[in-house]
Amino acid sequence: MSAYIAAFYAFLYAPLAVMFVFSFNDARRNVAWKGFTLKWYAQLWRDGELLRSLATSLELALVAAAIATLLGLLASYALARHPKFRGRQGCSALLSVPLMMPEIVMGVGLLSLFSRARVPLNFWTLACAHAMIALPYTASAIRARLLSLKDSRLEDAAMDLGATEWQAFRKITLPLARPAIVAGALLAFTVSFEDFVTSFFIAGIGIVTLPIKIYSMMKFGVTPEINALACCLLLATVALLALRQRLLSGAQERAADAADRALEGAARQAAEPA
Amino acid sequence: MDAWLSWLICGRSRKSSYALLAPAVLWLALFLIIPVACLLELGFLRLGPYGTVVFSLTLSNFSRAIEPRYLEILLRTLGYAGITTLLCLALGFPAAYYLSFRAGRRRELCLAALMIPFWTSCLVALYSWMIILGREGLLNSLLLRSGLIAHPLRLLNTPFSVVLGLAYFYIPFMVLPLYGSLEKLPRQYLEASYDLGAGRARTFFKVTLPLCLPGVVAGCILTFIPCMGDFLTAEFLGGPRTYLVGNLIQNQFLMAQDWPFGAALTSVLLILLVAGLYFYQRVEPQR
Repeated sequence: MSAYIAAFYAFLYAPLAVMFVFSFNDARRNVAWKGFTLKWYAQLWRDGELLRSLATSLELALVAAAIATLLGLLASYALARHPKFRGRQGCSALLSVPLMMPEIVMGVGLLSLFSRARVPLNFWTLACAHAMIALPYTASAIRARLLSLKDSRLEDAAMDLGATEWQAFRKITLPLARPAIVAGALLAFTVSFEDFVTSFFIAGIGIVTLPIKIYSMMKFGVTPEINALACCLLLATVALLALRQRLLSGAQERAADAADRALEGAARQAAEPA
Repeated sequence: MDAWLSWLICGRSRKSSYALLAPAVLWLALFLIIPVACLLELGFLRLGPYGTVVFSLTLSNFSRAIEPRYLEILLRTLGYAGITTLLCLALGFPAAYYLSFRAGRRRELCLAALMIPFWTSCLVALYSWMIILGREGLLNSLLLRSGLIAHPLRLLNTPFSVVLGLAYFYIPFMVLPLYGSLEKLPRQYLEASYDLGAGRARTFFKVTLPLCLPGVVAGCILTFIPCMGDFLTAEFLGGPRTYLVGNLIQNQFLMAQDWPFGAALTSVLLILLVAGLYFYQRVEPQR
């Protein structure tokens, strides 16, 4: 069993290891080891087009993550906290549809809609599409957290002490849910940043995201630069995932602290007028 | 303002729930439902001169989609997706089993390690596989040097490399649902089975496997669906003989400029998908 697991993970990590090793290989053709070099990394740094595509991807991911997080927060609050209402199940199912849909369907669907409606393809249409793809991720992350906070009596306590529902939400629920909100936003950011298929179909002429740039590099010739780039991206991905993990695992402890502080504050406020 | 926000939050009125859900639902309607509807309609329209679309209804795109040469591609895609799914199940089940029963303190680490390749850009992984599998690639040079083979094997641009690539990309979609269902399995059932004298194999086939069947089905569907729509793997790891529906659709939209035919092909894909999801729904409630 252990041997199998080792082989399984070796399979998963073989391409990553290859890419790491060959990013330092001083050879144009990727096969044999010709000695250590950092020149591919230096070349990345000088590649203006590449850096521009990186900037585009980052901007796109920021906008998409912001939209997806806001929409996800609102929707998941209603789904997790409101008493049952008609259409709840349907809405909840609808929110997971983008996860089930092959990306090529969304790509060509959006392409045919935009061309039919004569919507010009630009940065914003792409950002809207990315937000749609990322929405299930933010909604499910935030919803899980809101559901686990449901049993806490802190909001009731706050309202007993005279807070309105909105105040209780802003002072208690929102801070407690913040780690999950940030974690969801990070996930949405990653989803948008890595997206290739949808962008491939609906990025207009002038919009080159990083994955699209990588695709054209792969199409028009083999270059070890891709390995160097991939290593940088991998590092960034691991950092983001680690951050998300820490947020989620640290959330439990800090939630208790935050709750204590919130209650203390509320008690003080309630005591003041007296 | 405060009163209005409180009304929105508390959910005493159904309208407040709808108000909170409206932005997300509208967004999905605008960028998911309407595009798909538009695509379905496009499949019934006629292709005009110079890649334009003529608004007259026709079934010719669909009848063309099941012409032998296109049907072959469709069936090939089904076959590849099916084989990949089975391969993922065979490779992924022991991994999920290990994660759930044996990993112990290493579980968090193993789960995280499963997600890192998944979040790596698939283009980059494809590029790596090209280096590994190429004619003068890593695997061939290793095998040649070790003396196991005399001539380099043809690994890239074969059905083998395409299935390998697909399995590599979609195996987390198999392992995670499997892990989820194995996690939920009450451990007492297994103990009871052992106590009653069943061996390990018998316990596995009579208790573990039936109870995690929903996870198996979910994993298979979640693997199968994206495999059906994939075009990058076949584009980079495959050759002309491994042309899949995804490649055909991409070609119709971006090269051949025959959008109605591309839309019809996508609709066929969607119908298969909906059928799969329907099947999934039938199995799901037993969980």
